[in-house]
Amino acid sequence: MRPRLFLAVTAQQVRRSMAYRVDFWISSTAGFVTTFGLAWCVWTAVFASAGSNEIRGWTLDGMLLYMVVVVLLGRVVRGGDIDMTISNEIYQGGLNRYLVFPVSYQPFKYAQAVGTLLPALVQLALFCAIFLLVVGRPADIAITPFGVLGAIAAMAVGHVLYFLLGYPLELVAFWADNVWSLAVTLRFVTTLLGGMMIPLALFPGWAQDVLAFTPFPILYAVPAETLLGRMDPALWARHMVVALVWCVIVQRIGTWVWRRGSLQYSGVGM
Amino acid sequence: MIEVRGLGKTYRTHRKAPGLWGSVRGLFRREHVEKHAVVDVSFDVGPGEIVGLVGPNGAGKTTVVKMLAGIVHPTTGHIRVLDHEPWKRDNAFRSRIALVMGQKQQLWWDLPAADSFDLLREIYRIPRERYKATLDELVEALAVGPYLTVPVRRLSLGERMRMELVAALLHRPDVVFLDEPTIGLDLTAQRAIREFLLDYQRRVQPAVILTSHYMEDIERLCPRILILREGRIVFDGPLREIHARYAETKRITAQRSIGAGADPAADLGTWPADLGEVLTCTPDVVTVSVPRARVAQAAQLLLSRLTVIDLAIQEEDIGTVIERIYQGQTGDGA
Repeated sequence: MRPRLFLAVTAQQVRRSMAYRVDFWISSTAGFVTTFGLAWCVWTAVFASAGSNEIRGWTLDGMLLYMVVVVLLGRVVRGGDIDMTISNEIYQGGLNRYLVFPVSYQPFKYAQAVGTLLPALVQLALFCAIFLLVVGRPADIAITPFGVLGAIAAMAVGHVLYFLLGYPLELVAFWADNVWSLAVTLRFVTTLLGGMMIPLALFPGWAQDVLAFTPFPILYAVPAETLLGRMDPALWARHMVVALVWCVIVQRIGTWVWRRGSLQYSGVGM
Repeated sequence: MIEVRGLGKTYRTHRKAPGLWGSVRGLFRREHVEKHAVVDVSFDVGPGEIVGLVGPNGAGKTTVVKMLAGIVHPTTGHIRVLDHEPWKRDNAFRSRIALVMGQKQQLWWDLPAADSFDLLREIYRIPRERYKATLDELVEALAVGPYLTVPVRRLSLGERMRMELVAALLHRPDVVFLDEPTIGLDLTAQRAIREFLLDYQRRVQPAVILTSHYMEDIERLCPRILILREGRIVFDGPLREIHARYAETKRITAQRSIGAGADPAADLGTWPADLGEVLTCTPDVVTVSVPRARVAQAAQLLLSRLTVIDLAIQEEDIGTVIERIYQGQTGDGA
């Protein structure tokens, strides 16, 4: 896709995202407060019952900041919750317009996904600032230039990968009457294995070894831990390489599923 | 410009038995049924031609249009549109066609149409100067200037459809597919869109394929029509030929002079069965439906029996004739 067109699609999606301002702020604030509130209750209780200030290298403040960062980064990586748009376009015939336009569908949808980032980035900055003002920066957290740049790069790759993972699953809508369960499964699996529920350091050693070769850590744990200065550059680079390889693999799968699936498409109605 | 040979499309859908048990069974085993939506359709459309595609619901009109536009993959046969196979969806092909579906939104619902037009300029790579000139021209012709900055979801159906037309024609396509563009619109809005399409076609000369359930759209816009019944073409020819081939009767309306007898039935007497039937018989007007071959005889009889000040001979309503073709009641295989 041409860069100018990519930017135009992204800009249009930003305008669309802003069209529903009330919904935007309520859903984002409610989602963040609920998730963070739950994490605060659980981890406060866990640290209290453990009777220790530290669990596997994490203090309570560090853990809470990790949860704030990972929840907000998660919104960015997931592209501001655009799941189900592709399958809905298949079910409701919205796909027709993209098949008639002289554009490729997958890059077009990705450009739209990027367009939903801006609101999520605004939320990221705003809620991080609130946390730092209210709680302050934990003593064991060091934010460095590598941490910031590395987190941004990991987040960008995570965003691409999350989109590419969801894409073929949504295209199953060409055959199945409902793909909601697939989207939910993807959300659960990535949330658990990507480190959004708990830091990956709390998994058993063997599980961490296996996860290092999966597409999941780059989605949440790698950007969050890099930002918080808890990941060394060599490990970060290894995660990035693994993630890029997964990008190529799932992109190919998506293209193959699209080719097969679009043969089935009826454009809604006969 | 458009060449279609032996085109067919078969959809495979599953069937679920009714009730709870049917739902449970459906979890493990499904019955599939095949529906032949389009069967062995062949036709050509030349540059600048407007062709009406008509047929009852489910006849396959929209499926044909979707195959021509490259949205749906044909099961059999082949299509060439502008020397491309639509299904391959080459950008060179898609840059030269447009599709308007009356029942499907093409514009982005939550943005003003002006924002969508800007994006379309980028999608079709329209030079800025040409884009501005075309947009101004279309906006003026369709009188949508005041609505450009209103979110599409807040527009009326008629305003929205006019915006859809602007969006579809911005890149000056060589082939335009219009699938029920006037569906659901009031008479004024229908007329406005018809007038615009007529004028646009005269000036720009794209090839147009139009489907519609409104006979007035077809009569006003399409010199040639294709009639589809159960996925097959049963008529392909000039609209005016429909009457010659399929209409069985003509209608004669006799306007009686003021002061003529108060009992027209008595003046008319018994109407011969071989001259058709009397439809209305009032003191002012007598209308009869007459077999086409006996029109002269029937007119003479009316003039001889009634004091007539005006006589009109009309073709049977085109919609009625086409409806008979839909129902396969034309007696000549159509």
